[in-house]
Amino acid sequence: MPDINFTIDGKPQTAAPGETILSVTRRMGLDIPTLCYNQKISRTTACFVCVVKDLKTGRFLPSCSACPTEGQQIDASSEEVVEMRRTALNLLLSEHTGDCEAPCTMACPAHASVEEYVRAGRKGDFLGALKIIKKRIPLPMSVGRVCPRFCEKDCRRNIDSKPVSINDFKRLSADLHYDSYMEDLPALNGKKVAIVGAGPAGFAAAYDLRLAGVECVLFDKQPEAGGMLRYGIPEFRLPKAILRRELDHFRKMGITWECGRELGKNLSLDELKSSYDAVILAVGSWKASSMRIEGDELAEMGIDWLGAIAEKNWNGCANPGKTLIVGGGNTAMDCTRTAIRLGGEATIVYRRTRNEMPAEAVEIEEAVEEGAKLQLLTAPVRLYRKENGKLSLVCQKMVLGEPDASGRRKPEPLPGSEFEMEADTVIAAIGQRTVAPAGVAATKRGDLEVSPETLLCTGTDNVFAAGDCVTGPKTVVESLASAHRTADAVLAFLDGRAYVPAPEFNVSRGHWSSLKKDDLVYLHEVSEAERVKPELIPLEERKTTFTEISPTIPAEKIMKEGERCIECSCTAKSDCKLKKYATLLGCDPKKYTGERPHGAPDTRHPVIIYDRMKCVRCGTCVKVCGEIINKHLLAPMNRGFKTVVGTAFNTGLPLSCKECGACIEECPVGALDWRIKD
Amino acid sequence: MSQIKRIKVGVASCGLAAGAGEVMEALKRNAGTIPVVGVGCIGHCYAEPIVEVETDGGSVFYSSVKGSDDAAKEILALTDKGRFEIPKLRAEKEALYVTRLAGRIVPCDMEEYKANGGFEALKKAGAMKPSEVVDAIKQSGLRGRGGGGFPTGMKWSFLAAKQVPEKVLIMNADEGDPGAFMDRSMMESVPFQVLEGMLIGAYATGATKLFIYCRAEYPLAIKHLKIAIKAIQDAGLDKLPGREKALEIKIKEGAGAFVCGEETSMIASLEGKRGTPRFRPPFPTDSGWNGLPTAINNVETFANIAPILNMGADKFAAIGTEKSKGTKIFALAGDLRNPGLTEVPMGVTLAEIVYDIGGAERGSVKAVQTGGPSGGCIPAEKFDVKVDYDSLKELGAIMGSGGLIVIGNNRCMVETARYFLSFTHRESCGKCTFCRVGTMRMYETLERITAGNGTEEDIAFLEDLGPKIRKGALCGLGQTAPNPALSTIRYFRSEYEAHVRDKVCPSLVCPTLVDLQLDQSKCVKCRLCIKTCPASAISDGFVIDNASCLKCNSCLEVCPKKAIRRVPRGEGFNSNNQ
Repeated sequence: MPDINFTIDGKPQTAAPGETILSVTRRMGLDIPTLCYNQKISRTTACFVCVVKDLKTGRFLPSCSACPTEGQQIDASSEEVVEMRRTALNLLLSEHTGDCEAPCTMACPAHASVEEYVRAGRKGDFLGALKIIKKRIPLPMSVGRVCPRFCEKDCRRNIDSKPVSINDFKRLSADLHYDSYMEDLPALNGKKVAIVGAGPAGFAAAYDLRLAGVECVLFDKQPEAGGMLRYGIPEFRLPKAILRRELDHFRKMGITWECGRELGKNLSLDELKSSYDAVILAVGSWKASSMRIEGDELAEMGIDWLGAIAEKNWNGCANPGKTLIVGGGNTAMDCTRTAIRLGGEATIVYRRTRNEMPAEAVEIEEAVEEGAKLQLLTAPVRLYRKENGKLSLVCQKMVLGEPDASGRRKPEPLPGSEFEMEADTVIAAIGQRTVAPAGVAATKRGDLEVSPETLLCTGTDNVFAAGDCVTGPKTVVESLASAHRTADAVLAFLDGRAYVPAPEFNVSRGHWSSLKKDDLVYLHEVSEAERVKPELIPLEERKTTFTEISPTIPAEKIMKEGERCIECSCTAKSDCKLKKYATLLGCDPKKYTGERPHGAPDTRHPVIIYDRMKCVRCGTCVKVCGEIINKHLLAPMNRGFKTVVGTAFNTGLPLSCKECGACIEECPVGALDWRIKD
Repeated sequence: MSQIKRIKVGVASCGLAAGAGEVMEALKRNAGTIPVVGVGCIGHCYAEPIVEVETDGGSVFYSSVKGSDDAAKEILALTDKGRFEIPKLRAEKEALYVTRLAGRIVPCDMEEYKANGGFEALKKAGAMKPSEVVDAIKQSGLRGRGGGGFPTGMKWSFLAAKQVPEKVLIMNADEGDPGAFMDRSMMESVPFQVLEGMLIGAYATGATKLFIYCRAEYPLAIKHLKIAIKAIQDAGLDKLPGREKALEIKIKEGAGAFVCGEETSMIASLEGKRGTPRFRPPFPTDSGWNGLPTAINNVETFANIAPILNMGADKFAAIGTEKSKGTKIFALAGDLRNPGLTEVPMGVTLAEIVYDIGGAERGSVKAVQTGGPSGGCIPAEKFDVKVDYDSLKELGAIMGSGGLIVIGNNRCMVETARYFLSFTHRESCGKCTFCRVGTMRMYETLERITAGNGTEEDIAFLEDLGPKIRKGALCGLGQTAPNPALSTIRYFRSEYEAHVRDKVCPSLVCPTLVDLQLDQSKCVKCRLCIKTCPASAISDGFVIDNASCLKCNSCLEVCPKKAIRRVPRGEGFNSNNQ
């Protein structure tokens, strides 16, 4: 038979008789998405993700099965065709239940591969764990100590127990191997970037850039590098010897920094702009907010007060005496606990209740253990110095009203409830904000204004920004996340490419608070042991010295802790075609909602799992087992929406299954898989 | 007085369901030497059981006959009471070509069939070359009566062109549309006529294997076909002129999957596989049952063949419209006075079918649903449309196999769409994404709307997803499944809007949107409603508590004074909020 001449997207093509449209497009180098097409088996024609349009008839054809006809005009790429594919994928997603990524990984602002490094730790491979961690967390020594643990808050073990103590994996891995592990560094490519601000965001951006071959120099106005890690977070939470060890590694990578250099004083942004290919501003959010009450000037500003003590290396600082700390955030806790260690008597004044405090619960708990008093539902009204030289904070009792925009109940003053509290020191720790360097545009809130498309600072050609100065004051790990984005944008800029943020696509079973234990998939037994607890140093030592409050938990305990991990993420996340094409086509797993297939996964087989909630009913496994392996152990059962892949008499995979893995190999998603993760 | 020659009782499934079995027994007890025979269905199902008394002065019909000796005696006395005349208006509109013998002859009596012109067509065909038979069918303009409307002669010519020793001809008797029963009736009433068409088809196409795929829910049809096949084999009619071997004829009883009416699914089922469709091409005429060239025709299509050859293709082609030739049998059901079967020439208007033949009262009908769950609804104001394949399609409906459900003013169109989607989403084979998941999502949305939880977005959602399923689904089931929803939105959008905006079912049908109310002034305190209520929702003071009422209508139906009625939600008593 003669060849068939037709067109795809207007381009003339020739097909051999019997050749499918999909086959021709693959020859052309056009990647039409398909889940069910598999050249090893007969056509399934099930997923309909591969549709193309016959322009003459207006019909949509599954390209995996349709053969071109003479003179046919095929549309394989128009938005109409893509929308049909997207619809097919969205429909499949509406019956697809699973977790592409584990919730811990999704919760981590920096998207560190949590499940993977916990698994490496469980196996005792802490160097392996560190390598995984450092891909997203270049400052694991610090983050391993000060992170508020977003990951643990979303850990599914919260359903029936306490979360896996994830951050301690990070801390231990870094403690063990940080100094000895060195990344493979590419040769420098000649591009140079200046980074203003040697804090976590600055170092994280430098790290990414250096690993891409870009030379980086950091400038910082403080005498020592580290930013908030050095001058904000007190010694007892992050010992500075540890921080220096951490920063030393960057020097080994060839990243340099100059301290005592301040914009507008001995550092010129214009000069940086012209002598470097790009500049990143990572100047942080250092300006303490005032209480806006009469007598404000008599109060210490929290972050400044901590900074002054840090400058003295927590040595020989004055006892603040009776101290009132106004605020409920982490800085307020740091101030409180520092005041106690300096011999002071600390009381936290907060206008709502303990439940509404933005500080980490553990920080509040430890502060209270160390002797801090809580003066809750109290708002300062006026501050004045009494004749006896002491300060007096005039306060007002508050009651909680209706929830406000933040979802927290709004405190309202109780009329006629004013009272006074006497103090030697009053510290205002109610928040910080960014001060934009001269000549850089700022948002209404005061943070640096950046273009969402390029991440360039408004009105500049080559100045970017990262960290708190863009986002407002956040945690260390969030500043790393910001720095990764900025580094990506800078690399695109240096290459002359458009910056395209990595598309995010994830299917989730839901937050643990909406799930029951039975909703989860267990590949293996999960340890029922209690969450590992750090051993704090004696309370007396905590109250009187700046020694780090807990030593690193030893490896044997951490390995045991790893056995508590459910390993929630999908076994197929790296090669799932549904995820691949859904990401590519910008699908939305929530576009179509409705009933989903029910039923626990079939775990009767010791090494193979069939998860019907992930199955896309393409029938590939059925045909692989029948046509290639010649065993016919699988068959579609039921009809319509209730269709599932089953085994004879629903007794599970029989003994005649030789665990050849062919069905697993060809399953386009993670419905059939081994019960072991590497 | 005329002499009674023979008494015929309509004992097709419809007659039996109405009690024709007892009628036949009673007549036999009382008829003495007069033969009493069972025949098929003449289409007037509403009048069953029907008895035809053949006398030397012509036939007399009796309708709604009771199975008692008294009734039998009255008939034997040829009283005037209970006589049945075919309504004049209906008789004028009908054109009985294909159903001419249905209900008039003993179904499994080959001799009687022959005496009425049976097998004349086969004889005629045998005297022609096979290609001439194909040409005759082409010339007649006959299009497939299963719903697709593909020209039968064309399909046969494809199969005839295949030069292979074995070819397959399948009769699609998997009539699955709710409310459609044309094929069942033909198989029960005139099995020989259907099989004669098949034999002529085998002769014309060179087919060697004949399969009848009949749903197992049609036991009487299967029984009659089996008897008829045996008779054909005994008479040697299965050995066609010029053939050495007799035809292989088999009946396969389908297990009840709607999708097996789709030809590739049917072939898969006949091969012993799971009944799911596959992509075409290859078309069955190229590669069908076990790879052999295969053609599939509907029961009614085969039933047309003998009449066509008997009357001549030209005469057949003169009936109907330009593109739709001949007649079509419709199964009338729903809100009309005279449900049953009717054969009309193509091109009559829907109004003629619904009002003149079906006896529906003008003004009482909101719409008809043609083509079953795959079809669409056509509103009453469009009833002047001429019924043929193409004009129905233009209105968003399809001819389908001939099911025609009349929807009265008291019905809710959203609920009607929900009902059809509940059928199609369950009957989806589960293979292709658009049908398996898409119809489910449409069904869920319709459920939501009828339950009063819908939003404007839900209507937009149906209008967006529906056409995509039409374009994207693998087979006809999925491609047509959105039709009931899309056509009801098209013609009855205001009903959808009332459900989502005002949470009102204008027809007071959707259970969660109505209350039941008892009018105390009409109530005679007979307590029938209280005794009947399955939910004990009616108090001793004769007040219906709508919080526990199931809206099952039992009380409404049992009330002798019609004191109970449905009212919009909130207007009845509700212990939860009153």
